[in-house]
Amino acid sequence: MSLLLSILAAEQPGPIDTGGGFWFVPAASEYATTHDSIYEIVLWLSIFFFVLIVGIMIKFAWDYRRKSNNEPAGFGPTHSLVLETTWTVIPLLLSGVLFFIGIDTYADFKSPPANCYEVDATAQKWAWQFDHRNGASDSMVLKVPVGKPTRVTLHSNDVLHSFFIPAFRVKQDVVPGRYGSLWFTPDKPGVYQGFCTEYCGTGHSKMNFWVEAIPQEDFDDVIAKDARWIDDYSGDRLVWAGARLFSRCASCHSLKPGERMTGPSMWDLHANWGKTKKIEIDGKIQNVKIDENYILESIVAPWEKIAPTYMNQMPANFGKQLSSKELDALVRFVRQLDLVTDDNGQIKTEPLLSVTN
Amino acid sequence: MATITTADTDIHDESGSNYINCSKGILSWIITLDHKRIGVMYVIATLASFLLGGLFALGIRTELIAPGQTIMDADTYNRFFTLHGAIMTFLVIIPAIPGALGNFVLPIMLGAKDVAFPRMNLSSFYLWLLGAALTVYSMLQGGIDTGWTFYTPYSLEEGRDGVFWVGMGVFILGFSSIFTGLNFIVTVQRLRPPGMTWFKLPLFLWALYATAIIQVLATPVLGITMLLLAAERIMGIGIFDPALGGDPILFQHFFWFYSHPAVYIMILPAMGIISELISVHCRREIFGYKMIAFSSVAIAFFSFLVWGHHMFTSGQSPLMNAIFSAITFSVAIPSAIKIFNWLLTMYKGSIAFTTPMLYVLSFIFIFAIGGLTGIPLAILATDVQLHDTYFVVAHFHYVMMGSTLIAMIAGLHHWWPKITGRMYHEWLGRIAAMIVFVGFNLTFFTQFMLGTKGMPRRYHDYQEGLGWSVETTELFHTYHFISTIGSYVMAAGFFMILFYLLQSLVTGRKAPANPWGGASLEWECTSPPPHHNFDETPTPEYCYKFDHWVWSDSEQGYVKKALQ
Repeated sequence: MSLLLSILAAEQPGPIDTGGGFWFVPAASEYATTHDSIYEIVLWLSIFFFVLIVGIMIKFAWDYRRKSNNEPAGFGPTHSLVLETTWTVIPLLLSGVLFFIGIDTYADFKSPPANCYEVDATAQKWAWQFDHRNGASDSMVLKVPVGKPTRVTLHSNDVLHSFFIPAFRVKQDVVPGRYGSLWFTPDKPGVYQGFCTEYCGTGHSKMNFWVEAIPQEDFDDVIAKDARWIDDYSGDRLVWAGARLFSRCASCHSLKPGERMTGPSMWDLHANWGKTKKIEIDGKIQNVKIDENYILESIVAPWEKIAPTYMNQMPANFGKQLSSKELDALVRFVRQLDLVTDDNGQIKTEPLLSVTN
Repeated sequence: MATITTADTDIHDESGSNYINCSKGILSWIITLDHKRIGVMYVIATLASFLLGGLFALGIRTELIAPGQTIMDADTYNRFFTLHGAIMTFLVIIPAIPGALGNFVLPIMLGAKDVAFPRMNLSSFYLWLLGAALTVYSMLQGGIDTGWTFYTPYSLEEGRDGVFWVGMGVFILGFSSIFTGLNFIVTVQRLRPPGMTWFKLPLFLWALYATAIIQVLATPVLGITMLLLAAERIMGIGIFDPALGGDPILFQHFFWFYSHPAVYIMILPAMGIISELISVHCRREIFGYKMIAFSSVAIAFFSFLVWGHHMFTSGQSPLMNAIFSAITFSVAIPSAIKIFNWLLTMYKGSIAFTTPMLYVLSFIFIFAIGGLTGIPLAILATDVQLHDTYFVVAHFHYVMMGSTLIAMIAGLHHWWPKITGRMYHEWLGRIAAMIVFVGFNLTFFTQFMLGTKGMPRRYHDYQEGLGWSVETTELFHTYHFISTIGSYVMAAGFFMILFYLLQSLVTGRKAPANPWGGASLEWECTSPPPHHNFDETPTPEYCYKFDHWVWSDSEQGYVKKALQ
């Protein structure tokens, strides 16, 4: 396991997509169940025709195998209007039926109901940002209510991405320059895997997320708490808020000593805190001190100082997405990394609040 | 039954001169105008590219055998799958059958001395070389990581200079394809000997003709698309880049308008080969000649109308999606017709399980799966789930590799005696065919399940942590492991083929003119054929009647029966 690339920035919130049949993960919505029955129809039709074709092939291959080189050439019918019509008309009719079954369900997929719970998903190399209307925001877990339709509005800040949740059988490409959307209604509480499924570069296979379906009666409270989650952190606990926010950064930055990813390891910055390092700025090599100002600038204006041997590819908009308190939390996180991670770069379990509010 | 006198027609060229030894030296090959030599050069070139693309594939599969980084980082992996796709699509599968087997066989099967434009034929090959050189150059400069589809705006980003070079390579390869297509159309239209009516044409030629129409009509669109991509990269015009007011989906439309017909450039000649081989190795007239011929043209026509089925989740309107979905079913019907026609050709045939025939049987098995798995992709509701997952990867490998490539290997084995004058070791051929069949299915069948379970395409890694669940990782691991083992098995089969084919050139038995008992015109001349193909203009007969040829033990091949 020495090749582990990255660490669990956020604990997996429960068992995910377990069980399920031979083909799909368990259907988590009524639409998903309908989808699966369409697939079943196609599957059995396909198996029927496959067995028919290969069966006939094997039978003929055996029955008419050549027994000697001297046997005469084969001789058999070369036309049959009945057969040729049959095998043209039947596939044609089946095609029509299958097309209509599919289009009917697809029309549902494209018709979100009126009273959807609305959430925004923004894609950016290489993480998502899920924004609820009340201000709650997360990068790893999208929380939605059970039994009520959720509509996700999709937007990309850079290249093509795609938003895919297998358990709900939904997918839509996320296109820069325009908005898209999809909707789904979870029919039971649970946690479901989500993927980015349009190639977007180095971190394409790191842009995953989880969808947590929460019973409606609890949902409003949960989201309200999430909106002001950072209010529960202050003083020396703020560093733990930084640890939580770091999940957004973990697809490009490691917490392990010396581990290169798209960006430098935070552990190396932490270990060299207070020291200076040489960075080329505008063609001149300058000495830069690794301190709170450097970390802050690296988040809000990452193009200013590029670490040697790395490329200028950190997104430029984090400063606009993070509040002042969130930025402070991240700065403290790097500064006090040894407090919140162990020697392997794993974030420790956050201690509970010792004082009740 | 009347006594049969076997009388050899004069197909032994006593002087021993053939297209290979009629002139010597590397230069005589490099500037040759002989379609046969050009075909041979294409065989070598496309098989070498297949080896290169295959090595990339083995790299991909090795990386995916286990969770976590196995042998390469994400950036390297992304280059591997991009180059694998670009090389296999543009350097191997599109040019191979028309360029290699088509070039060699078409004029002889037609009854002509050469193609209509021999110099244009040589230019096609030179253009292929130039396009390949640009691709290799780009590889040496660090390659590209955009995927073979070059989707924007990712492919427009700064620092991806390889996109320009590979794009220009693709542009030039497009002309190679267009020239071949143009040449074949004119050759089939104008160089038929007297008596070779359209409905006496061998079905391989019908297939190549239909393919040529697609090559000529569709490829220019790809060329223009590559030019636009290059222009946007260099001049920042704003056609595809939303930051400049452009539309990324427009690129997808332009790209797939060519690339969907392109897959029929791949499969149509392959189906033509199967029609020939099944008839010859079952020694029985093909069932439904006219329907097979018409279905090739129908597929070529409908192939232009369905490109949007690659874009169902792209943001294309639901109405467009519905139209494309409906028309996509139309392409399935002619393909189904062909399968049933082939099966009925086996009925009351005299079936020999030669190496080519084993590949034909593999083709039918694999193409049935490939075609049937296209159905959930054509249906909108299920495509939403399956698009951009490994289900699609499995589907297209079943049709592109398991069908097209296997047909090409089949055709190579079938015409190998004619092309080289040697027989390969038959049992090695059969064993390798079975190894490739088993390895192929092991590699790609598991990928259907990977896809339905949600594994996206173009993923470097799958590993618990950071948004990956433990359960998902374990599930994917099992399927990826089997798939990788399958790829090694398949690779072993292919290396075996390479070995015994090369071996045949050195120690293979000299081939008779007609080892399989075929009745089309190429079996009338020597193996290898003379430089000018025929001494006199041949008189074409319907090429699917085999009773004129009988087995000769002394020849270890078939000879023409003298008619009483």
